Amino acid sequence: MKRHTINIIFLLAAVLLVMAAQYGLLDNYVLTVLMFMGINVIFATSLNLVNGYMGEFSCGHAGFMCVGAYVGSLMSVAFFTKSALFGGPLLSPGLAPFLFPLVLLGAFVAAALCGLIVALPSFNTRDDYLAIITIAANYIIISIIENIDVIGGPRGFSGMKQTVSAMRHVADIPWMLLWVIVGVFICVLALYRLMTSTYGKGISAVCQNEVAAEIMGINTNRVKIMAFMVSSGLAGVAGVLYAHVYGYVNPQAFNIMKSTEGLVMVYLGGMGSLSGVIMAAIAFTLLVEMLRFIIPAANDLLHFVNILPDSFELSQIWKWVIIPLILIMLMQFRPEGILGNRELTQVFPRLKRWITLK
Amino acid sequence: MPLLEVNHLTQRFGGLQALTDFNMKIEEHDLVGLIGPNGAGKTTVFNLVSGFYTPSEGSITFAGEATRGLKPHAVTSLGMARTFQNIRLWNDLSVLDNIRLAQTHWLGYGFLNAVLRTKKYFAAEKRIEEKSRDILEMMDLSQYAGECPKNLPYGLQRRVELARALSTNPKLLLLDEPAAGLNSADIDGLIRYIRWIHDEFKISIWMIEHQMKVVMSLCQRLTVIDFGRTIAVGTPDEIKANHDVIKAYLGDDNL
Repeated sequence: MKRHTINIIFLLAAVLLVMAAQYGLLDNYVLTVLMFMGINVIFATSLNLVNGYMGEFSCGHAGFMCVGAYVGSLMSVAFFTKSALFGGPLLSPGLAPFLFPLVLLGAFVAAALCGLIVALPSFNTRDDYLAIITIAANYIIISIIENIDVIGGPRGFSGMKQTVSAMRHVADIPWMLLWVIVGVFICVLALYRLMTSTYGKGISAVCQNEVAAEIMGINTNRVKIMAFMVSSGLAGVAGVLYAHVYGYVNPQAFNIMKSTEGLVMVYLGGMGSLSGVIMAAIAFTLLVEMLRFIIPAANDLLHFVNILPDSFELSQIWKWVIIPLILIMLMQFRPEGILGNRELTQVFPRLKRWITLK
Repeated sequence: MPLLEVNHLTQRFGGLQALTDFNMKIEEHDLVGLIGPNGAGKTTVFNLVSGFYTPSEGSITFAGEATRGLKPHAVTSLGMARTFQNIRLWNDLSVLDNIRLAQTHWLGYGFLNAVLRTKKYFAAEKRIEEKSRDILEMMDLSQYAGECPKNLPYGLQRRVELARALSTNPKLLLLDEPAAGLNSADIDGLIRYIRWIHDEFKISIWMIEHQMKVVMSLCQRLTVIDFGRTIAVGTPDEIKANHDVIKAYLGDDNL
C-alpha cells in the first residue's frame, strides 16, 4: 500500500480536478491554464525523446503539433459536426465522446508519418545540420497548410467547439480536461516504459556512441525512425488537444516560437529526464501565464516612477524577450537543466518507497 | 567451409589506395593476428569486414553469407563482434545496460510490446537479463554491474568492452589493439584472458596488435601488411625471420 502512495495521490488529484471543474469551483481561466499545462507536458516530454534521450537537436517540433492539430480537427469536424466543408456529420454526434480516442490516434499517426521528413535525413546527417532540417520541416508544414485554402489557409480552421459541445450533449462533464489528463497519462507512461525497456534504451545508445551501437547489432536507422515518429506523433496528440481546447487553430500558432517554447521546457527540465521535463513544463506554463500580469504591472510601475517615457508601453510582446532570456541564463548558469539527465527518483532515492513505477 | 573468407579486398579513399588485394581465411576456433606498421591499413581491414565501409572491390563471405553491402548491425547478427582501438562504451548507461544493449538483435519484441508491457516483453527482458548476468559473472565484472563505465579504470573498461562484444554471441571476435594503453603486468593478464575466452567460448579470434609479445604468444598465424599490401603470411616464428617484415618495421639496412 505504502508503495502506491504517490500513484494514489496523482489519481486523487486528477479526480478532484475533474470534480472541481464539474461543480464550477474552477473558473474558466484557471481551467484553460491547467489544460495548457497538460498539453505542454505532452509537447515537452515528446520533444525530450529526441533532444534529450537521442541527443539530436530538433527545433521544429511545433510543426508536428500543427499536423496533429489539423488532421485531428478535420477528423473531429467531419465525424461529429455539421460543417460547410464536409456537409453533415459522417458519424452520429452522439458518438463523439466514445470515438474521440480515434481522433487522437489519427493525429498521432499523421504527425508520426510527418516525422519521417526529419527521420529519413537523420540517417546521414546529425547535429547542426539536422537541426537546420528540423527548422525547414517546421516551415514546410506551416507553409503547406497556409496554402490549402479549403481548410482556411492562413485564416485558420475552427469548428472543434461543436465537437466539444456534442460531447457535452451526451454527458455534461468537462470533457476536454478529461482528455488532456488521459493524454498526459498515456504519453508519460508510454515514454517511461519505452525508456526503461532494452528496446528503448537503444535510443540512449545511439546518443552516446552511434558507431558502437551499430557495431553491437543495434539497427540505428530503425531506432532513429522509431524515436522521431513516436516523438512527433505525441506532439500531434498535443496539437489535437490544443485545437479542441482553443476551438480554433491557425498555422502561425505553430511557428518557430512554439518550437522554442518546447526547447525552453526541455532544457529547463534537463535533457533526458522525464520527471525534470514534466516539472519544467508545469513551471514554464505558470511563468508564461504570470507574465500576463507581471508585464502590465511592471509597465505601470515603471511609468509611475517615470523611468519609461509616456509614449512607450511595455506590451505582451516582451514575453518573447523574457523567454529566450531564460534560455540564455539557463545555458550560462545551469546548462544541464534542473535535474540534468537524472530522474527525480535518482535525486531523491527515498521517493522510490512511495511510488510504484511499471 | 571457412568461417570467414575474404578475397581480393581493395579499398580506395578518393585517390588513396588504403588496401590492395587483401585475402584472408579464418576457420572455426582459429586465433590469428594482423600486424603492420602504423597506417598500414589494419583497422581499414576490420572496418571493411565488419561492414562499416563497403569495399571498392573484392568479396567477403562470413558464416556462409556474402556480407558485402550489409550494414554493421546485420553483420553482427550473423555472429561477428568487435572491440575498438579507442574504447567506445556507452558511458552514461550502467555496465549491465551496456551488456544488455548488445543483445538487441535477438530481442524479439518491438515498440508496442515495450509500451504495453506484454508477456513477450517480460520473457525477452528476463532472458536478456539472465544472459547478461551470466556474462558479467564469467568475466568477473558482477560487482560493477550498476556502475557507469566512465567511472571505471581503463583496464576494467577494456574488459567491459570485451564482455559486451561477447554478449552478442559471436562466432568471430575482432579485437582492435586490445593491449593498447595497458602496462606490461596487465598485458600478461590480457594474454591469459584472451586465451581463456578463446577456449571457453569456442570462438575464432582475429586481432590487430602492436605488442609483439601478445601476438607472438597467442596467434597461430599472422598476416603482415604494409601500405595496404600483404607482405607476409605465416606462423609467428616464420614472421619473425621474414626479411620483408623486418624491413617494413625497421627499415632497409642497405640504406
